[in-house]
Amino acid sequence: MKFILNYIRKEVWSPYVAGILLGLVGIAAVWISNSLLGASGAFEDLAGLIGRAAAPKLFDNMYFNFIMPPGITTSVILVLGIFFGGMIGAATSGTLKWGKKDSANSDEQWKRVFGNQTWKRWGIAFIGAIILEYAAGIAGGCTSGLAISGGMLLAPSAFLFIAGMFASGIVTALIIYRNRY
Amino acid sequence: MNFIVALILGIFFGFSLNKAGLTKYNKIVNVFRFTDMAVLQFMMTALVVAMSGLFALRGLGLITFPTVPATYVVGNIVGGLIFGVGMAMSGYCPGTCAAGAGEGKLDYIFPGLLGFLTGAVIYGLTYQQVFPAISAIANYGSTTIPDLWNLSPLLTVVFFALMSFMLFYLIDRAGWQRKGNL
Repeated sequence: MKFILNYIRKEVWSPYVAGILLGLVGIAAVWISNSLLGASGAFEDLAGLIGRAAAPKLFDNMYFNFIMPPGITTSVILVLGIFFGGMIGAATSGTLKWGKKDSANSDEQWKRVFGNQTWKRWGIAFIGAIILEYAAGIAGGCTSGLAISGGMLLAPSAFLFIAGMFASGIVTALIIYRNRY
Repeated sequence: MNFIVALILGIFFGFSLNKAGLTKYNKIVNVFRFTDMAVLQFMMTALVVAMSGLFALRGLGLITFPTVPATYVVGNIVGGLIFGVGMAMSGYCPGTCAAGAGEGKLDYIFPGLLGFLTGAVIYGLTYQQVFPAISAIANYGSTTIPDLWNLSPLLTVVFFALMSFMLFYLIDRAGWQRKGNL
């Protein structure tokens, strides 16, 4: 019991132990409610909601009317759960960053390679995030909704997506890190 | 899925992402540098556990599968290729960013969550010009590898598990993980 509690308090687990937990969550999603985990869809639902309020005409299109009708969907609640799950995980290891000085540019490796400027981190991350969400739309899901959820059902799409993701991730890292790769 | 189930599943999901270390920029980017393979180990373990459980439960008649994410070869690959660029730039994906935001990291909360919303708006507004065309190429619909190639699901899962264990061995014991901490 003490061992388990101490393990839970560790900041980083063995990826195998954490992976088993995620696998069980994936099974539970199907068993309990015949549905799949996913994260990128929630942002589509929220974007539609915000867009409808700000510019109803523009967002009155095929996509937001039929493909991804906006609203507070179960996907949105799932992502809210992920948010709290991350919070609880960090709380158990005492590594919460709320209100901490380094919370704006949170990674030591980033700072060593690219410097301390927060705007640089935010600018590159913002563009990266736009790319991620757009790509998830084209592929039919992100790492959770397609790679994990599709892969566990042995969907070919998941493995095509994972192959593409690693290929371009490696090339992009090579370009960004150059001689420090 | 009702809201309470979704919230609880999400909490365990986010917790596992945090404990795997995936809410850190360096963990994500270093898998592409082959200096820390945790992302791959985590994903493959989750896949082996989940597919074993799900195919066993289906074999026992306890569950049916939900709609399988559709396969349209070019779209899945091109989407993956674009996705990898964003991942290496930002050091997150939508799920890990949400978990990192919960930890209180401002570089996850602002550029991350706002970036996803911006990307979602751009996608929603250009959907009609992009998606129908790309998803029409080599579209196999909702299918699985055993169904598509007429394989035994059991053997496919066993094969995938063995491949994963071999990969874990190569990473942990045969030096596939480079040294190169920055």
